[in-house]
Amino acid sequence: MKLHFYLFSILVSGMLLTSCEEPYTPPTTDADQQFVIEGYVEEGEGSLPTYVMVTRSIPYITTIGPDQLANIFVKDAKVTVYDGEKTVALTQLCLGDLPEELRAQAAAILGINADSTSLNICLYVDLLQQINKKQGGKYDLTVDIDGYVMTSTTTIPNFVPLFDAHFEEPPGEPSDTLAALWFKIKDPVGPNYYRYFTTDDEGDQLIAPFQSTTDDAFFDGKEFDFPLNQAERRGGGGDDNNNFDDFGLFTRGDSLTVKWMCLDKVHFDFWKTRDFAANSGGPFSSYTRIKTNINGGLGIWGGYSVQNYRLYCPPK
Amino acid sequence: MKSTLILFFTLALFSVTAQTQFTLSGYVKDGGTGETLIGANVFNLANAEQGTASNAYGFSSLTLPKGSYKIVFSYLGFQEQAFEVAMDKDLKLNVDMTEGITIEEIVVSADKEERAKNVEGTQMGTVSLPVENIKKLPAIFGEVDLLKAIQLLPGVRSSGEGNAGFYVRGGGPDQNLVLLDEAVVYNSGHMLGFFSVFNADAIKNTTLIKGGMPANYGGRLSSVLDIQMKEGNQKEYSAEGGVGLISSRLTIQGPIVKDKTSFIVSGRRTYIGDLAQAALKGSTFEGTNYYFYDLNAKINHKFSDSDRLFFSAYFGRDVLKFRQPKRDFRFDLPYGNSTATLRWNHLFTNKLFFNLSAVYNDYQFQFGGGQDEFEFKLFSGVKDWNLKLDFDYFAGTKHNIKYGLNYTYHTLTPNTASATSGDVEFNTGFLPKYANEYALYFMDDIKVNNDLAINAGIRYSIFSQLGPYTSKLDSTQYGTFQPAITYTGIEPRVNFKYKTSDESSIKGGITFTNQYLHLVSNSSSTLPTDIWVPSTEIVKPQRGVQYALGFFKNFKNDTYETSVEVYYRDLKNQIDYADDYVNDITQEVEDGFVYGKGRAYGAEFFLKKSVGKLNGWIGYTLSRTERSFERIENGRWYPAVYDRTHDLSVVVNYQLSKKWEFGGIFIYGTGKLFTPINGFFFTEQNLNLFYGPRNSQRLDDYHRMDISFTYTPNPDSKKKWRGSWNFSVYNLYNRKNPFFINYDINTDFEKGTTSIEGTKITIFPFIPSITYNFKFN
Repeated sequence: MKLHFYLFSILVSGMLLTSCEEPYTPPTTDADQQFVIEGYVEEGEGSLPTYVMVTRSIPYITTIGPDQLANIFVKDAKVTVYDGEKTVALTQLCLGDLPEELRAQAAAILGINADSTSLNICLYVDLLQQINKKQGGKYDLTVDIDGYVMTSTTTIPNFVPLFDAHFEEPPGEPSDTLAALWFKIKDPVGPNYYRYFTTDDEGDQLIAPFQSTTDDAFFDGKEFDFPLNQAERRGGGGDDNNNFDDFGLFTRGDSLTVKWMCLDKVHFDFWKTRDFAANSGGPFSSYTRIKTNINGGLGIWGGYSVQNYRLYCPPK
Repeated sequence: MKSTLILFFTLALFSVTAQTQFTLSGYVKDGGTGETLIGANVFNLANAEQGTASNAYGFSSLTLPKGSYKIVFSYLGFQEQAFEVAMDKDLKLNVDMTEGITIEEIVVSADKEERAKNVEGTQMGTVSLPVENIKKLPAIFGEVDLLKAIQLLPGVRSSGEGNAGFYVRGGGPDQNLVLLDEAVVYNSGHMLGFFSVFNADAIKNTTLIKGGMPANYGGRLSSVLDIQMKEGNQKEYSAEGGVGLISSRLTIQGPIVKDKTSFIVSGRRTYIGDLAQAALKGSTFEGTNYYFYDLNAKINHKFSDSDRLFFSAYFGRDVLKFRQPKRDFRFDLPYGNSTATLRWNHLFTNKLFFNLSAVYNDYQFQFGGGQDEFEFKLFSGVKDWNLKLDFDYFAGTKHNIKYGLNYTYHTLTPNTASATSGDVEFNTGFLPKYANEYALYFMDDIKVNNDLAINAGIRYSIFSQLGPYTSKLDSTQYGTFQPAITYTGIEPRVNFKYKTSDESSIKGGITFTNQYLHLVSNSSSTLPTDIWVPSTEIVKPQRGVQYALGFFKNFKNDTYETSVEVYYRDLKNQIDYADDYVNDITQEVEDGFVYGKGRAYGAEFFLKKSVGKLNGWIGYTLSRTERSFERIENGRWYPAVYDRTHDLSVVVNYQLSKKWEFGGIFIYGTGKLFTPINGFFFTEQNLNLFYGPRNSQRLDDYHRMDISFTYTPNPDSKKKWRGSWNFSVYNLYNRKNPFFINYDINTDFEKGTTSIEGTKITIFPFIPSITYNFKFN
C-alpha cells in the first residue's frame, strides 16, 4: 500500500506548483566498501543453474559508468554451497572470457541483460548441476574472499502453482490492443511468500514488475483470481513508461512468459524491504534499510521453487 | 474508590468551616460579549500578594481576613476595575470587564500584576496566547493558525516547513496532549499537517504547558496544549468571518436568552480543489478533488450563579477523491476528528468550584477505493468516552487546591483492511483494542510566604488493556472488559518559586509523567495514516521525568519580561520503527516497533514585551535530543529527527497608526537531520541504496521572514459592518529552505551509465496573500 505516495503526489502536487528544485550533492561520507552477494538456488521447470555473484558496493557518486562497474565484480573468491549432503564448489565464470557467441547465450540462460554483457560479468556457477535442489531443501552458502568469510542459509519452499490463466478486457474503457492477465491461485493455509517475473514490454527479458513480491497475510488459505502486471523494461526503456492508461497491461498478439516463484520468509523480507526502499521517497518517507541474510555483507542468498508459464495473448 | 469519595467530601467540608475570614467569589467576564475570561487577576490593591486568578471557567474566589479592601480585577487588553469591598461577610461579585484603557489610579499595579506573573507564578514553561494576538501574526495563505503561533515559542519546534505539527523539548509528536474544550484531539492537522484543525474564529484561549505539567493533566510526556472554544456572545448577535485565498470562514454567535443562554457556530472550508475542477475536466484525472472543513458549535446555559451547563462540539474532515476514469481507478480518503463535550459547573460553596465533564472524541481515517471489480477498504481510528470530575478549592490566599478523577474508555482500531474481488472477500482480521484509563490527582498551590511558593501535586494513573483480546504471547483469551494487563504510574510533580527581588525569581521543578497511548511515525512528520496504539502486554507505557530550573526577571517596571530556563528530560520505553521497517497494512504496527530510551536537554531564553505600540518577543533555544534503541545500530545514541541545536524566533507587532498595524516573524533553526546515502549496490541489475548512520547529517539551516500589514479603514466605526484587510507575505526574502532531498536514478543503457541526481526541493517560496476579515453585529 503506497498510501503515503498517493497522498503525497496528489495532495501536495498542488502546493508543489509553487515549489522549486535545485541540484543537491550530499557531503561525501567516508563509507567503507562492502561486499554484496546475489545468489539463487532454484528448483522446478524453467529453473536456472545455481549461481552466485560477488560484487563490491560503490560509494556515493553522481554517475556510475563503465569505469566504476569494471571493478565491482570480485574474482577468485572461494564459493561453496552445502546442500545437506555434500559441499559443492561453484566455478568462476567471467562472461568476458567466453567466446562472443557463447557469451550472449550464457547471459540469456542466467537472465542477465544482454545489453550489459559488454561488462565483464563474473559469477560463480554450479556448472555441472551437482547441487541437489529439492523443495524443502536447505542450502548453506560460504563465500571466502582472501580469508574474509561471509555465510548465509536459504531454503526452497514447496511450490504453489497458478492455474486458469486468461486474458480479460482492461478495467475502465475497453481496448482493442491491451488486455489484463488473470491467474487463479489456491493458497495453502499457513504463511506463503510469492514473487513473479514477466517478460517485459519489449518481450525479451524476464524481470520483476511493480509490486511483484507478496505474502499471503491478506488471502491466507483462499482460492481466487488475481491480475498480474506486465513488467516494464529496466531503465525506463519503454517510451510510455509511467503511463497510467496502460500500466501493467499486456499487448494483444504478443507471446509472454510468467515466472512464478515461491520463497521463504527471509528471502521474502529482502525483496519486501528492497521494493519498499526503491519505491518510497519524497518528503514524508524516511529511509529503509534493506534486510539481508548475508552474514558479513549485503545482498541476498535466496531459494526459489519456480515454474515458467508460457502464454499467448490473443488478438481481439 | 470509597476512600477517594471520603477524601473529596472531607475536603469539601473544609470549605464550610467557620472562620474569621470571608470570601469574595464570582465570574470574570468580557462585558461586551459575556465570554468568561480565563486567568484574570483578582487581588488586593494594597497587597498584591493577596490575590488569585480566574480558572478555566472564569471563576475566582479570594478569601481574606475581615476588613475593607480595594479589590482589583485585571486582564490584559481590558480596562482594570477596582471595587471597594467590606469583607464582613461572604460576597458574590461577577465582574464585567470592558476593553480599553486602564483607570489612571490603578494602572501601575494592575498592569504590573499581569506581567509580574512571569516572576510571581510557580508555573514554569507555561505560555498563554490570546487568539487576538495570534491573529495579528503573518500567516501563510492568510490562514491564521494557532499551532504555527505556538511553534514560535522557545522549546517548541515545527515538524517541518509550513507544518502545524510540533515537538516540545525534544519529545515526540505523540507526546503532546492537545485538548479542545477538554476533548483530546488525536490528529490536529489538515492537509498532511500543513494547517491545524483549529479555526481561530471559534477559539477563545490557547495555553501551552511545556514545563512542569500540573497534576490535573496527564497521559502525555511532553506538553499540554489546552484550547478553549468561545462560549458565544451573551449580549447580542454578531457575525464574523473572512474570505481568503484558499478558504473562507464564518462565525455566528449570540444570546438565545440574554445573559442566560448563548451559542456560537463557526465553520471553515477550503475551495481551491473546487476551483480546479474546471481544469481537470476531460483530463485523465477528471473528478479528482480535495478539500477540508471544520465546524465548531457551542451552547451554554446559566441556571443560576451556581450552576452552568456547556455543550460544545467539533467536527472536521479532510476529503480526498481520486478518480482516473479511463481505467476505472478510484479512491476516497476521508479523515478527521469529531469531539463533543458536555460540562456542568457547580459551586458547592463560594470556595469550592466543581466541574463535571463528559467527553466523547473520535478520530477516523478511512481509505476506500477500487478498480473494476476489486474494492478495497482501510479503516483506523481512536474513540474515547471520558468522564472527569474536577474540584477547584480556593482555600484562602495561601492555598489553592485542585483534585479530581478522570476515567476514559479507549477503543483503538488498528489498520483494518478488507477487500472484495468479485465474490471473494479478504481481510486482515485485526480487531480493535480496548482499554480503561483512570487517573486521580491532587495538587496544592501553596504560598509559603511572600517569597516562596510551592506547587505540589501527585497523579496516580492506572491503565488496563481489556478484552476481547487474544494474547500474542501465550494465546490466552480475554473476554469483554476483562483486563489482559494493567499498568500503574505514580507521578509526583513539584514546582517552586523563590523571589530573589521585587522583579526577579528563581523557579524549579520536577515532573514525572506516564503515557499509555502511542503514535509512531515512520515519516518525517505525522500523517493521517499514522496509527495510535495503546499500551499492551507487548507495548510498555512511555515514562518520563523532567527537571527544570529557571531564572525570571522583569525590567523597567515590568515592561520587559525575561527568562532563562534549563531542562533535562529522561525518557524510558521510547518507541520507534526499526530501520528496516516496511509500512505494510497486513502487519499490525506494533509488530514493527523497537523499544529504547531517550534524553533531551537544553536552555531556553525568552524576552517579551507585551505593552506599548511595539510588542512581541524573542525566543532562543539551545538544545539536544537523543535516542538509543538496542535494535537500531546496536544502541548507539543518535540525535532524534526533531533535534535542533539552535532555534531562534523573533515576533514583532507594531501599531503604525490607528488604521495600520504591522506584524513580523523571523525564524532561524539548525538544519534538519537526515540519514545519508553511503553508497550503492546491485541486485538483479537494479541499483539499491544503502545508508550511513541514522540522522548523521543535516540539511541546510532553516531561516525565513514573514510580514503582514493589517489595514482597518474605519477603526472607530460604530457601524454594524466592520471590515479589515490583511496583507501577508510568507518567506519575504524567498529563502530556499530545503523541504526534502529527492534522488532520481536513471540508467542509460546505451552509454552503460547510471546517474543519481540529488535534488533539493523547496516548497514555499515568496507567497503573498490577502484576506478580508469582517465583523457584523
